[in-house]
Amino acid sequence: MEREILLETHEATKHFGGLAAVEKVNMKIYRGEILGLIGPNGAGKTTFVNIITGMLPITSGKVIFKGTDITGWPAYRIGRLGIARTFQIVKPFRGMTVRENVAVGAMFGHKGQTRSPREALEHVDEIIEFVGMSDLRDKHADQLTLPYLKRLELAKALAMDPELLFLDEVMAGLNTKEIEAAMELVRKINARGITILVIEHVMKAIVGVTERVFVLNFGQELAQGKPEEVLNNPAVIKAYLGEKFVQRFFRQQQAA
Amino acid sequence: MSDREKKKAPLQYSLFDGLFQGRQGVLLGLFTLFLIFLAIFPFLSFASGFWLNTLTLILLLAAMAIGWNFIGGYTGYAAFGNVAFFGFGAYGTGLSMTKLGLSFFPSLLIGALAAMLFAIVMGLPILRLKGHYFAIATVAIATAMGEIADSWTSFTGGAAGITLPFFDPIEWSGQFFYYMSLLLAVGGLLLTWFILNRKMGYSWIAIREDEDAANMMGINTTWAKVMAFALSALMAGLAGGIYAYWKTFVLAEEVFKIEYTLQMILAAVLGGTGTIFGPFIGAFIYYILITLLVFFLPVGQLHATILGTIIILVMVFTPKGLMDFISGRKKISINSLLENIRTYRV
Repeated sequence: MEREILLETHEATKHFGGLAAVEKVNMKIYRGEILGLIGPNGAGKTTFVNIITGMLPITSGKVIFKGTDITGWPAYRIGRLGIARTFQIVKPFRGMTVRENVAVGAMFGHKGQTRSPREALEHVDEIIEFVGMSDLRDKHADQLTLPYLKRLELAKALAMDPELLFLDEVMAGLNTKEIEAAMELVRKINARGITILVIEHVMKAIVGVTERVFVLNFGQELAQGKPEEVLNNPAVIKAYLGEKFVQRFFRQQQAA
Repeated sequence: MSDREKKKAPLQYSLFDGLFQGRQGVLLGLFTLFLIFLAIFPFLSFASGFWLNTLTLILLLAAMAIGWNFIGGYTGYAAFGNVAFFGFGAYGTGLSMTKLGLSFFPSLLIGALAAMLFAIVMGLPILRLKGHYFAIATVAIATAMGEIADSWTSFTGGAAGITLPFFDPIEWSGQFFYYMSLLLAVGGLLLTWFILNRKMGYSWIAIREDEDAANMMGINTTWAKVMAFALSALMAGLAGGIYAYWKTFVLAEEVFKIEYTLQMILAAVLGGTGTIFGPFIGAFIYYILITLLVFFLPVGQLHATILGTIIILVMVFTPKGLMDFISGRKKISINSLLENIRTYRV
């Protein structure tokens, strides 16, 4: 059975002056899946998400979400349509409490038109509980530590009732135990029916939660497929670690 | 199900810093008493013309500071040209009364709407700028408007200015303008409170804290910023119109003074930007400070130096203004002052 395509890009391209940050990327995201987006530093992962979500203007190419061409739409309209994201460098609203931060998502997101500020503030209790921050509900965002700021990013995005969620390195800077908890959270979000694209450097997390992985290198597609296959692909290993390591890696594998 | 109902904590709004936190009851009570005092002030025996005059000035400044707080305090855009809206209000009112022969209230409305319209037209391009660039653009526009008003002799009267009719009956003039200013300032407080209860208030603060995140979360940031700018223009425009009719004279170098912008900002900063009552209280603090300084240091420009020093000290030690202490969010102590320095270090 053919799966429904939720979002696809046609030759999405982003140039910064003469630098091609993203070059002719064709990606399909299927409804209900968890897709991993990996690649070495500077491969253009975050830029790719930025041009899809309208944070940066696209140079050329097309972005189609649920059959609608959203290329060139302003970010707030894309957000209201049902795409939410977290930011690699967390962006809390520091002057607000946790609850108000999350309520902003409920107020302006996918179903925001139907909610008053008061309804939004009441609505988000469930989401705050879901990410495990009930005790911190009335704390100001500037009093939180990094793991909780990352969770707050998640809660804010979830409150927008998205159909598609981009998670940009939500696990970076967390310790092993916190990563386990974050992985569990990603699975639980997916179980709510939300399609997810995870950008992550933590390979354990990629293998642990994704069904399919897409590899970017120098702004171009390098490989895609099942996580185990992709991570053993010589081209991918070379992109991450260099030619020498690939040779040593495969010698060792043959020896073993 | 009922378990969750029980767990729900009462809603707490941090957006209303200084109103619903800390000693809200006592503060609101004191503030109400102060407002009642202001309302009956003209009927008190010691209310001379001088005091009425001074309070009218303070209340007009408070109204403008409340307006500046929308764009500068809540939305976080350093607008340094709000005097342009004051000038637009003054000229709009003056020209409507003299050229169109309208009475005061419709003229005031025209002046204020002209200021708002100007803010929208200017805001659409310049609110794309950030930080210093936006600040410079606003200063430039305000200065340019002043020059235009000064040079366009056939329309604005140029250096000869516009002479407005006197308020009639003239013996009630002082009281009339006092109450107009009081109404405007209190109206500004109510407007602030009203907006903070709406999505617009959340938009503004979200933009101040992180505009990219606000945009991505579905906030039409352009619309929200232009609204903040237009509403701050409305407050300044109304103040300008009242001022023009009060002084019965409009002159470019008088109503486009950059000092007025600085006064608005100082009042808001001294009282506390991004708080409801901060700019209102700040206007009084500013006037008391400047009066004391001029009184004790009448020689030369020394009082300006001292005022500058006080402002720097306030910015360094209490960047969120005196509302932080008044509302009981922080206690005045060496530690809290030092903590402020660490928190807001740039």
